[in-house]
Parts: sequence; structure tokens; C-alpha cells
Amino acid sequence: MSNAASIVAVVLVSIASLAVGAFGLRLSRTMSDFYVASRGVGPVLNASAISGEYLSAASFLGVAGLILARGVDMLWLPVGWTAGYLLLLVFVAAPLRRSGAYTLPDFAQLRLESVVARRASSLLVVAIGLLYLIPQFQGAGLTLRTLTGAPSWVGQLAVAVVVCLNVLPGGMRSVTLVQAFHYWLKLLALLTPLFFLLGALGGRSGDPDVGAVFVADWVEPLRGDHALYLTYSLVLATFFGTMGLPHVVVRFYTNRDGRAARRATLAVLVLLSGFYLLPVLYGVIGRYVASDLVAAGRADSVVLELPSRLFDGPVAEGLTALLAAGAFAAFLSTSTGLVVSVAGVVSQDLVRWGAGHRQGIRTFRLSTVAVVAVSLLLTIVSAGVPVAHAVELTFAVAASTFCPMLLLGIWWRGLTARGAIAGMVVGGGLSMGAVVSTTFGIATGGWFGVVMTQPAAVSVPLSFATMVLVSVATRASAPEHVARTMVRLHAPEHIDLNRGSFHPERWYRRASAPVSPVSPVSPVTHVNQSSAANGATTEGTDSGTQHTAYDSGDTTARRSQPTARRD
Amino acid sequence: MSKDAPERVVDDPNVAMQDSPEFAQLRSKFRKFVFPLTALFLAWYFLYVLLSVFAKDFMGTRVIGNVTWGLILGLLQFVSTFTITMVYARWADRVFDPEAEALARKMGGQQ
Repeated sequence: MSNAASIVAVVLVSIASLAVGAFGLRLSRTMSDFYVASRGVGPVLNASAISGEYLSAASFLGVAGLILARGVDMLWLPVGWTAGYLLLLVFVAAPLRRSGAYTLPDFAQLRLESVVARRASSLLVVAIGLLYLIPQFQGAGLTLRTLTGAPSWVGQLAVAVVVCLNVLPGGMRSVTLVQAFHYWLKLLALLTPLFFLLGALGGRSGDPDVGAVFVADWVEPLRGDHALYLTYSLVLATFFGTMGLPHVVVRFYTNRDGRAARRATLAVLVLLSGFYLLPVLYGVIGRYVASDLVAAGRADSVVLELPSRLFDGPVAEGLTALLAAGAFAAFLSTSTGLVVSVAGVVSQDLVRWGAGHRQGIRTFRLSTVAVVAVSLLLTIVSAGVPVAHAVELTFAVAASTFCPMLLLGIWWRGLTARGAIAGMVVGGGLSMGAVVSTTFGIATGGWFGVVMTQPAAVSVPLSFATMVLVSVATRASAPEHVARTMVRLHAPEHIDLNRGSFHPERWYRRASAPVSPVSPVSPVTHVNQSSAANGATTEGTDSGTQHTAYDSGDTTARRSQPTARRD
Repeated sequence: MSKDAPERVVDDPNVAMQDSPEFAQLRSKFRKFVFPLTALFLAWYFLYVLLSVFAKDFMGTRVIGNVTWGLILGLLQFVSTFTITMVYARWADRVFDPEAEALARKMGGQQ
């Protein structure tokens, strides 16, 4: 296969991403900060950015590979990913926005009033983020290997370098525009070759019987042992895992208010559903012309190999180059979002070098490099798990830890810190065990082995049950201000509770709604009092949310967060 | 150390609101709409999986060419996700938000 065109395409995508990032950075500097900028860009661009970040290597390559290898049952993966977004919107997004918590650890500390719960959540964010980064890097290695024959580490290193270059100068601010750009790139990159492929396929098979014979074993859904359990497990993981992904939750804050968030979610669902039909079709076409890839263990590369199966010469090269560009965009956007989220949490919660704005930025940058380096190492160690399956397991971990913590924390006032931690340990331990045994190929037989393949159907209910039982047992140690926190989570958006001044809703309110006098004992004032009692200063950027690391000084001072409280 | 922070739960207007019947009503309204909706849509997804396992003949029946009921229902899942979100968004825009805003005005007036 001639591959000069593909290499050029990959290089072009990398350069374009950096250029768009730089442009976005300049754009956001002219606004007062990133979030106001995102308020100005409207729901379609916002939804594009959300979708761009969400559609990872697993969506671009893995879904087609799974459909090719395992058949139509695997429609579940894209369906679950879209439906997970719906659950996030209905149950979590609005209360989380109102809480003023920015990240999942923020929320844990705010609701449970426990630093231990916060630390546990931080560790989980890092674990989930790294787990999700591995398949991205793996996909990048696979792509370059398929296209050029270069060893896998070349592609992995390339993505790592571009991600670092994108994140280091601007943090979160330069990323939104890049991700919106990546969504449309990915869509075009899949859509255009599809027309060619379908045309070629239609022209070729004059007799439809050929196809019928090929797909006969495939049209019957859900076969094989334990199909019901495995599918339910997968569905649960994707439904409930979405809300626990650190880079997904953060995106909801770029919406102006609840109404805008719902608009954006509708747009996201259209964009995601529209996108997911494409890899499914690739998988179906792969069934006709490239079913040998399954036996060769290269099902994940079906999207990239299809053009050369149906065309020769420049057409095949051009289409492959386009697909390679789209795939690279997929790795870049998801890993950028993940790296920003994980590095934010690392620099804010887990390591600390001095206080103050400058140190905050330096810590964030060092964390970025460290996160990228560690996930690169892990990728090299863990080669061999199919891309989409690695992502399924990540969803399972998120679904068995953060999902119960969020749902119970928001909708049940009885959740205590000990209950939440116990649940996260049980659910996280079980699902992480599954990850380890799958990654390193530790074979386990019988039902236990089945559970270890798809842990969610066991680990999610178990985690919920643990949280409830331990919380009931420890209800004497319920968080002190839980009544106040619950009001904060559920009071209508427009009540001026001063829930934390750092989200864009504030500007919106000031502009349009009559400003009512701020309640003298709002939660935030309370928080500030207690942090002052701690001797902590609210100007310390590093104790704020991850994104403040890149804000200008006065913005940071305005954003006094509930997270400044450290009991 | 922050345990020394003044404890003012009693005269906190937020807590007063939590106890107010309007707020309770608003929350129960949200639950009454959203929980059944979610139950319905989860049931519909799980029904699909059940059909796939226990009604293989039906799901494997070809409708047009190689397109089976399984495939059609599977693609319909995307449509239903979108429909449900649409229903929720309309309900929130038309019913829930105005009431929440009314309560907000009332509470704002009290402060």
C-alpha cells in the first residue's frame, strides 16, 4: 500500500489542530475568560465540541471492528453511549451545575464534606482517565502501523507529542474550538469514503445472493454463551458510565443555563447518532469484503483497510488518507480532553509544589507531561486488548464508582462519606480487577470469568448496595450541612443563592434577570468563612478548580470556590 | 479547624426553603415526570435485549433483503433516545422552568 498521502494527511491534521488551538487561544484572550467565550459561541459549536471530544478512537475504529467481529449485537455500544448522555442530562447535569462543583472530586468534597472522599475521587479520576487514554494511544499506534508499517510506538508517540503541544500553552481554553473542528473532520472523513464504498459495492454485486450467504451467520442477534448477561452488562456500563467520565461532565459547564444545556444535549444526540450510523455501515461493508481481518486479529483496522479492498491507485490512497486524518482527529480530541481533566486533578489534588498562580501553572504543565508519559508507558505494556473492549471496561469502572456516588449524592440525602467511599472501593475494586485480568490476559474460568469479562452488571448494583448499607450504618456521621447542600443542588436555577461565582450563569443573570440581594448566609459565604478560619487564602489558584490554572489573576480571585475548603 | 465556623443552619433561608411546601411540590413534580420516563426508556432498552435472546426467530426474520427486525429495532433505539430527550426538553421548557421561576421570584421577594 502506498502511504505517502496518509502520512501527509496525518501531519496536516496535527498542524491544523495546533493552528486552531492557537487561534482559539487568541480568541479567548480577547474575552474575559474561557467560559464567557464559550457562552458567545452558540449551541451548535458547543455541541460540536462536546461530540468531538466524546467520539474517541473506540467510536471511530472500534465500533466498526466490533460489528465486523461480533455482529449486530454490538449496536449496543453506540446506543449505550448516546443514551448515557441522556441519563447524564436528566439526573446529574443540572444539580451538578448548581452545586458549583467543577470536577467530580469537587462534588465529592462539597456533598460529603470529607477530604478523604475527595482524595479517593481524585485517584479514581486519574485511574479512569489513564484507562481511557490507553485505547486512544493504542488506536493511534494501530493506525500508523496499518498505514505505513511503522512500529506501534511511532503513532503513540506522535499523538502524545501533539496532545502535549496543544495542552501546554493554553490549558482548557484553547481546546473547545479544536474539538468542534475535530467533530466535523471526523464526520466528513467517514462520510465521504462511504459514498465511494457503497457505490463500488452496489456496482459490484449484481447478484444479491453473494451478500446473503456472507451475512447469514450474522443476521441472528445475540448468540454465544452468556449473551444475555454480557449484553446487559455492557448496556449498564455504557448507560451509567458516561456520567462518571471526567472529561464529559466538565463540558456541561460551557452551557449558559439549564435551557441551553438541554438544547446542546439535543444537538449532541443528533450529532452522535448521525455519526454512529457510519462506523456501523463500515462494519457491515467489512462483513462483505474484509471478513478475513477477524481471523487475522485486525478487526479494529477495518475502517482503514476498506478503501484499498474496493479501489486501486489514487482513489484508494486518497480515501485512506482521509480516514487516517479522521482517525487521528479522534485520538487527538479525546486524549486532549482527558489529559486536561486528569492533569487538572493531579496538579490540584495529588501533587503540590508551592502556592500561587505561577506555581499552579507550572504544576499543571508538569502534570500534563507526566500524565501523557505514564499513559504512553501503560499503553506499551498492555498492548493487545481490542480498542473498543478496553473502552467498555473503562465505562464499567466509571459506572461502578462515580455513577452511584453522583446519583445517590444528588437524590438521596442519606449518603455519608463512609458509605460513598466503601461503595467506590467495592465497585472500583471489582471493575479494576476485571481490567487487570483482561489487560494482562489472566484467564479465569466459569461464571467468575464471565463476570470478569463484563463486570458492570455485578459491580454497579453491588456498589449501589454498599453505599446504601454503609451509609445507613454510619448515619450518625452524616455530613453536617447536608440540608443546605441539598437545597443548593435542587433549588431552581434562577434563585440567587450565589452558588459559587465561577460559572457563566452569573453573567447571564446579571445581564437579564433583576438582581436580588445576595443571601447573607449563602453556602459560598459559609465556605469562605470556614476556609478563612483554616488560614487558607482564596487567592491560591492551586486550591481552585483545574481550569483556574490558566485564568488571569483577577478572574481567579473572582472565582472563590467551595473547593477552597479543606477540613 | 473549620468546625469552629459559626453554625447557622437554623436561620438559613436556604433551609427554610427546603422545608417550604412549594419547593417540595416542585421536587416531587420533577420526580413524578422524570422517574417514570426513565423507567420506561430503560425497560424499552432491556426489552430489546430480552427479545434478542428469547425471540431469536422473530429478531432474525428478514424484512427487506438482509435487514432483520433485530437491525430495525436496534436502529430505532437511536430514534427513541432522541425522542425521549426531546420530550424531556419540551416538558422542562414549558412546564418545569416557568414554575421554578415563579418560585424563584417568590423566594427572591422574601429575602
